[in-house]
This record gives sequence, structure tokens and C-alpha cells, in this order.
Amino acid sequence: MSEHHKESFITKYVFTMDHKMIAKQFLITGMFMGVVGMLMSAIFRVQLANPGESSILYSLLPGAWLNDAGGLNPDKYLALVTMHGTILVFWVLTAGLSGTFANFLIPLQIGARDMASGFLNMLSYWFFFIATVVLLSSLFVETGPASGGWTIYPPLSALPQAIPGSGTGMTLWLISITLFVVGSLLGGLNYIVTILNLRTIGMTMQRLPLTIWALLITAILGVLSFPVLLSCGLLLIFDRSFGTSFYLSDIIINGEALHNEGGSPILFEHLFWFLGHPEVYIILLPALGIVSEVIAVNSRKPIFGYKAMVGALLLIAFLSFIVWGHHMFMTGMNPFLGSVFTFTTLLIAIPSAVKVFNYLATLWRGNIRFTPAMLFAIGTVSAFITGGLTGIILGDSALDINVHDTYFVVGHFHIVMGLSAIYGMFAGVYHWFPKMYGRMMNKNLGYIHFWGTFICAYGVFFPMHFLGLAGLPRRYYSNSAFPMFDGLSDINELITFFALAGAIVQVFFLFNFFYSIFKGTKSSQNPWKSNTLEWTTPVERIHGNWPGELPVVTRWAYDYSKPGAEEDFILQTEPLKEGEIEH
Amino acid sequence: MTNILIVVVVILLLATLVQIVRVSELLSDIKNKDVNEVTDKDNNTQGILFLIVGFGFLIFVVWQMVTWNHLLLPPASSVHGAQIDTLMKISMGLILIVFFVLSPILFYFLYKYRGKKSNKAYFFSHNNKLEVVWTIVPTIILTSLIIFGLKTWDKSMNVDVSESTTIIEVYAQQFNWNARYSGQDNTLGKANFRLVKGSNILGVDMLDASSADDKMSREVHLVIDKPVLLKFRSQDVIHSAFLPHFRVQMNCVPGMTTQFGFTPTKTTAQMKETEGDDFEYILLCNKICGASHYNMQMKFIVETQEEYDVWLDSQENLESKLLTQK
Amino acid sequence: MDIALKNTVKKQLLWVALVSISMFFASMLSAFIVEKGDVDNWKNFSLPTYFVLSTGIIILSSLLLFFIKPALKKGKSIFGLVFIVLILGLLFSFFQIKGWEQLTNQGIYLTGIGSNVAGSFLYILTLTHLLHLVGGLVGLCISTIKSKQNLYSINNYLGLELTSIYWHFLTILWIILFTFLKFY
Repeated sequence: MSEHHKESFITKYVFTMDHKMIAKQFLITGMFMGVVGMLMSAIFRVQLANPGESSILYSLLPGAWLNDAGGLNPDKYLALVTMHGTILVFWVLTAGLSGTFANFLIPLQIGARDMASGFLNMLSYWFFFIATVVLLSSLFVETGPASGGWTIYPPLSALPQAIPGSGTGMTLWLISITLFVVGSLLGGLNYIVTILNLRTIGMTMQRLPLTIWALLITAILGVLSFPVLLSCGLLLIFDRSFGTSFYLSDIIINGEALHNEGGSPILFEHLFWFLGHPEVYIILLPALGIVSEVIAVNSRKPIFGYKAMVGALLLIAFLSFIVWGHHMFMTGMNPFLGSVFTFTTLLIAIPSAVKVFNYLATLWRGNIRFTPAMLFAIGTVSAFITGGLTGIILGDSALDINVHDTYFVVGHFHIVMGLSAIYGMFAGVYHWFPKMYGRMMNKNLGYIHFWGTFICAYGVFFPMHFLGLAGLPRRYYSNSAFPMFDGLSDINELITFFALAGAIVQVFFLFNFFYSIFKGTKSSQNPWKSNTLEWTTPVERIHGNWPGELPVVTRWAYDYSKPGAEEDFILQTEPLKEGEIEH
Repeated sequence: MTNILIVVVVILLLATLVQIVRVSELLSDIKNKDVNEVTDKDNNTQGILFLIVGFGFLIFVVWQMVTWNHLLLPPASSVHGAQIDTLMKISMGLILIVFFVLSPILFYFLYKYRGKKSNKAYFFSHNNKLEVVWTIVPTIILTSLIIFGLKTWDKSMNVDVSESTTIIEVYAQQFNWNARYSGQDNTLGKANFRLVKGSNILGVDMLDASSADDKMSREVHLVIDKPVLLKFRSQDVIHSAFLPHFRVQMNCVPGMTTQFGFTPTKTTAQMKETEGDDFEYILLCNKICGASHYNMQMKFIVETQEEYDVWLDSQENLESKLLTQK
Repeated sequence: MDIALKNTVKKQLLWVALVSISMFFASMLSAFIVEKGDVDNWKNFSLPTYFVLSTGIIILSSLLLFFIKPALKKGKSIFGLVFIVLILGLLFSFFQIKGWEQLTNQGIYLTGIGSNVAGSFLYILTLTHLLHLVGGLVGLCISTIKSKQNLYSINNYLGLELTSIYWHFLTILWIILFTFLKFY
């Protein structure tokens, strides 16, 4: 594996098979898409605060469909909402988060030279890249990109007559997602096989850092659930383009009766959410893994209840496959089925609660060092508490009747899934940036970035719960059509203010990131005094990770502040002392 | 012009950032310190910041609850809705308690255990007793919530349809609602989407005997304290019928009939007294359905039996409306 | 990585991929079950006789693959064997398409007016199976060429082994689909 052939620009930066470079490709693509997605949200937030008014922001996005008229019309609004959701869920928080950190951390933290198959890994990125290009190209389509919501429920997504975005834009969306799924599957296969086979000597499953456990479980979730999205999408493609009736039945659109009979839109929802709910944990678990690692390192304490943490991850993953129906309480499903889904859904609160308590116990009597990564890791814990709790309301079918599809849901999932995961991603970037680029990110800019984001994000998403409890449905272009929502405009303006401020704060991160790649201060080999294997590799990037023999692991990853040791950390490669018990 | 201005501002902002970073790096060079090393001073500042901002956030939450309380939906105007409200109060109270316990603990720990170079953390890797306790306590609380929730759900969804239940069809299409009353026989005539033509906008099968006395309407009138069963159909895409004041929601799916039964408990007039003169019960669409999704509404009116009878009598039945036109 | 580890890793990659593909078909089949239970105008019809024929062919091809290892052990050429399997694979595809022809003659269409969800599912299931089979055929082509050049030996036939595993998977998948469509 350690053949040292000369790397040209193309093999080093473009068609690279080095997992570290592929991770950076995922990260940068993900960040780019993050900026696009955030811009879209800024645009529709402006619309919600000042309905119908033109804004300078509208000229920032490409495509004639957006620019032609002054204000934002409802079709464009829905297109933006749809693309924002798609981009953030799949591009940023799936590929950008687990693509980056699975690729980067798995070989480094288990002591492998590279992934099981560098070629498949490269392929995985390029599928993702082409998917990105296809998705972005739909912005330039005359009728606009897909606009039926990121959940693309048919018949709306199947009928161009129902909404213009369901024409070419939707076709491109489906092609793009198909490519995306293939890329994710190739990545997932690789992660699983690498973790199972290529662990270095002594790296037993019980000694794996929690990041790797989380990434392994994420990959398993992906391999089991993404094919379902593929089949779900395939049937939709046939309905849209070839005239089958899997999801369509008894439809009159524009005064014309369609021939389709016998299909069921509810079938689509079942298939979609069978992926869709595990997808939530595909997003969340890597972030929780990163957070476990960052909190342990920076509290200078072992993570509390390692086994319980792994068990909780496994239980959450298992439960995530039997709860999808809680997205469909209002579809007229059999009430008994609704009860079953309520039961399984609320069960997820138990392992989640265990995780939160364990994080708190890890912080207790620690010696907390507030690196920017640590701040964001704490942000995740805070968001996980705040957002997770409202899940108890939404998972209860009886209560869901009145908050289903309102802003209460928007607030809930943006906090528990959006914020938790994006904070985890930021924590990961700040923490492993020195390993990625050999340089440090600026600490003070990191502090500004965190506090700005933390304050603005709660300012945006917490008030949404109140909009929801006032009965305001989501995906409304404007709430001026109903007198009962007249009182809500103050809240909307407040949210938009925080959203724009929060978007501007991200400039600090982007600047810090790109500036530090080239000009950051040089990093030492183990800047955070961490135990895990990646910090035993040289600062300079080499293909194969370790210059000589692979390291041999003799202890778990969390021997921080162990009594009897001189330093407050002990590398995983340090042999156990005589008479020393492993944790 | 504004675009150029924005570009200039962005460039200036970036230049400022570069300078700030430069200066801080130069300063630490002079002091011969690593600029990115987290010092005790940093830990101190950040720990205190967490205490301040954290508690600031909690105060912000309380402020929202107080200031925006009047904007929330009024108490439910239906029998099952009242139960949902009770369950909501209990669940909300519970999660608020947990929230106001856990968040302060988090922020306080961050302040209290902010690091010092001279300190050492306490090696504490697991404690089975603790872990068992905080697995079992949430389990018990959740189980009771689940049981209560399922009871409420059961009562809301499984409605007994008796003789006295009014059956009304609610028909959704891009972008409005229509209603059909079942008439004297309290049975809705059959309908088929292929029969939608001209003024027969719901596709009612007029050959079906029970269709003749059906009545179509653009608003729904209900009788106070009298159970009603709404049957939902959709013409084109998925819509969702949402009546927030009654705590009623059900998707309208093309090719399928769904239903929701409830009993209104307050007339519109009564609501106007407490909620202001412009109050109306309103039906919204709550599933993305196209451009005018945000403006798809129908008025619901709850009134006394007498008022209702007067109104219903004034409505034409389908037999005279559709058949005489031919 | 040493050779043994490399082989295990490659085989495992394939196995995980097979799990993934199984999920794809499992979701299709569950969609089929849900629709069948849901739809009033579900059309029942008999499977084309060609499908029975193709079932026999693919089972035969799979059985033949079991003779590869003994042949390699004895040092015999396996070109003939692999070539026959490839031909059988092509024959299977041919009969599948014949089967569709038979279906359209019966008035069962994939799409358009007069199509029925039941029929569409039949087409989609067989079509996606056939698409996966194309991958197997490509593998068999490569194996045929390589065995013609005598590149395989008992110590070195990973490519052929992977192809065989995939091919057996396709056979089992087809048997499941067939019994399901026939008897459910």
C-alpha cells in the first residue's frame, strides 16, 4: 500500500485516492453547498418578514427564474424552500458531515493506511460531485428547480401542471439524488468494511473511539436505508416520465382527468420515510460521535459511560427503522398503527436522554478547556436538549394532530437535527483542522463565530415554536391571507433579523478557514493533547498516514487525567504500566 | 449600484479581518506566545460567557412565553380537543421542567469546571448505579406519557358514527375547498372523478339515489354539541385539512377517502365574545400543494340548531341544482 | 495489505453491497404487497411461460458455477465452463424479454392507458433484476476472456469468485421474485 509514486496535481488534488484528500473534497463541496443553502434561507426569510417586497438578496442567486420579476412569487418561494431543504439535508449534513469525517477519521483513528478501497472511495466523491452539478444546474432551468418540498410527495412532484418546478427541475432533482445515493452507498460500503477489517493490532471494538462507533453505525444505517430511497425514486421516475400509476390515482389537474388509477400517494410516503427517518440519524450520529470525542478531550476526562454510549447509539439506530410512521400520523393511517409508531418513537427519548446525562457527567469535575471546537460541541449538547424535548410533543400522535406540519415542527427539527449536526460539524472542523492542513485556525475568530452563531440560531429557531403553537402552517409564502396570523409579523421580523445576522457571522468562519489553510500558525503534532491515533502521524500529509510501521494499540481512547500518570493524557499506543488496569 | 456597494463592503470587511488576525499574531509573536493556545484567561472568559449567555437564553425563553402567550391558539372548541389540550399542558409542563433543569446544569458546569493549567480533572469513567437510574427514570416518565397519549389518540380517532352524526364531505382542490352535506338521508351519494364536469365540480354520481338530496356549499355550518364526521377527498394533489381551533387535522389524498369526527363545543358567536369580533373558525391547507397553498381557506361556522336549520333549508339540493340545468 | 486480507476485504465489500441491493428489492416487494392490499382494481394474471423457462436456465447456470473450483484444483481449463454460463446468462435475458413480449400480447402493459399497477410492478421488478444481471454479465465476460488466457489458478481466482457470488445472488433473487409473483 505504501508505494510512493510521484503525485501529479491531478492525482493529488483531483482524482485522488488518499482518504484525507477525499475528505477535504467532501468538506469543501459541503461548505460551498452550505453557503448556497444558507443564502436561499436568507432570501425566503426576507420574504417572510416583508412579504412581496423586492430585496437586493434576490440578485445573488443564479437563474432567470429568480431574477425576472421584482419580488419573490409563491412558486419561487416554494422552490427556494425545497432546494434549501434538499441541500442542507443531503449535501451539507449527510455528505458534508459524514463524508468528510468518515473519510478523514476512520483510517486515522483505527490505524489503517487508507480505506479498504481507495478507488471506490474516489468514485464515491465523484458521484457526489456530479450529483452536485446536476442539482445546481436545475437552478438555471426556465421553470425553476424542484418545488414540491424536499420530501417530494407525489402527486405534486409528479405533475408539472400542478407546480412549474415539477417539470425539468424535478427530473434533474431525481437524477441528482440517484447519483447522490449511489455515491453514498459506495462510501458506506467502504466505511463498514474498513472498520471491520483494517483496525491495527490491539484496536479491538471495545477500544474504538466513539467517533468511529458513530460512523460505523451511520454507515450501516445508510447501506440499509438509501436503497429504499432509490426504489422509491425509481417508481416516481416511472410515474413522471413513463405514465405508470404507482403513486397516482383519480386525478384531475387543470380540468383534465388523468388516466392513472389504482396507485397510492401514501405508498410513496411509506417508502420515503423508511429512508427519511434513518436519514435523520445518519445526520445526527456522526455529530454525536464527534462531540463525544471533543468533549472528552477538552474536559480532560474520559467520556462517561463508554459502553452505555455505544449501546445508546445502537438502540437509536435500531429504533430509527421502526418509527417512520410518525411522519404520517395525519395520512389517515389505521389508528392502531399510529399507536404503535407513537410507542416506538417515544422510546427513542430513552437512549437520547442517556446520552445527554452522560455528556453532563463527562463535564462534571472536568478541567474544561474552551477551544472553539469545545464550544461548538457544547452547542450540540445544548441544542440536543432543547430540540430533543419538543420531539416528545411531536412523537405523540394525539398532540401531533395540532402541531403537525406547523412551524413547531420547523423549530423542532432545525434545532435537534440542524443545529446539533451543524455544531458537531463545526466542532469537527475546528478540532481536526490542524490534522487536515497542518495549521491552526484562529482561536479568537472561532470564539466570535461560536457566540454569534449560538445566539442567532436560538433567536431564529426558538420563536418558531410559538408560531407553530399559534397554528401557522409551514411552507406558507406569506401569512397575510389569514387574519388570525396578523399578530405574528413581529415574531417573523425578529426571526429574519437573527437569520440575517447569523448568516453574516458565518463569514468569520469562512474567512478563518481559508485564511488558516494558507497563513494559519503552524500546528504541533498533537495540539490538543489528545489520545487517539491520528495525532501520532506526522504533521505533514503523507499517503499511507504513518511513515514506518503501523502503531500498536494497547489501551482505550479515553485515558485522560488518569491517576498515576504524569501527563493528563496517555496516547493509545502507550503500553499499560505494570499493575495498571485498563479503565 | 447597490451590488457594487455590497462587494466593496465585503472586501473591506475581509481586509479588516485580515488585519485583526495579523495584529493579534504579531502581538503574540512579540510576547513569544502561541496565539492559538487556550489560556487560563480564555477559559475564564468563556466559562463566564456561558453562564451569562446561557442564562440569557433561558430568560429569553421565559420572555417569549410571557410576551407571546396571547398569540397562541385559544382553548380547544371541541370535545376531543379539550383532552388534547390537557395532554399538551402536561407534556409541555414536563419538558419545560426538564429543560429548565438540564440547561442550567449544563451552563453551570461549564462555568464551575472551567479549566486551569494547575487543575486536574477527576478520572470518572462509569458508574453503573447512576446510569441505571437515569435510564429508568426517563423510562417511567415516558411510559406514563405514552399511555396517556395513546388514550387521547384513541378517543380522537375512533369515532362512533351514530344516527345523530352529521356527515359532511370536504373536497380539496388547487386552491380551494368545497363542502357537500349528506342531506335528509344522511348518506353521501357516490362520487367518481371521471364525472367531474361543468357545475358538478365534485363528480357526484347522480344515478345514485342518495345523491339527490345532497347539498353543496362553500362554507361549512355546524351545530354546537352535535357530532360531525368530515369525509375528505382531493381532486389533484395531497392537501391537508387543518382546523386548528378544533384540534382537527387530516390529509386529503387523491384516490382515497379519509375522515375525522369531532364535536364542536363553542359557537362562533361565543368565540367572538372572547377572541374579538373578527374571529372566525377557519379551515387551512397544511400540506404543500402549489403556488397558492398559503391562501387556501374555507370558513366554518358553529351555530345553534335553529340557525343551522334556517341556513340548511336555504341551500339548494343537488337534484335541483344539477339535474334541472340539463 | 497482504493478499489474504485484500481478498477478504473485497469479498466483504461485495457482501455488504448485496445486503444493500437486497434492501432495494425488499422495499420494492413491500411496495407491491402494500399496493395489492390497497388497490380495488388489482388485475390478477398468470406469469408468462417464458419466465418458467428462464428460471430453469438461471438455476442451471448457477449450478454449473459450482464445478469451477474442482476444475481449478485439478488444473483443468475452465474456459468452456465459464463460457457456457455466460451463454446461459444471455439466454436468460433473452427469455425475459420474450416474456415481456408475451405479456404485452396478453394486453398487460407497463405504462399508459390500460396499464395496471399490478402489471407495472411485474415489469419493474423483472426490469430492475435484469439491470442488475447486466452487471453479472459484464463480470462473466471478463472472466471468460481471462479464463481463455488461462489467468486463473486455484490460488488466484478472486475475480471469478466474486462474479460467482454475485451470480448466485442474482439466481436466488430471481427465484424469490418468481415464487413471489407466481404465488402471492
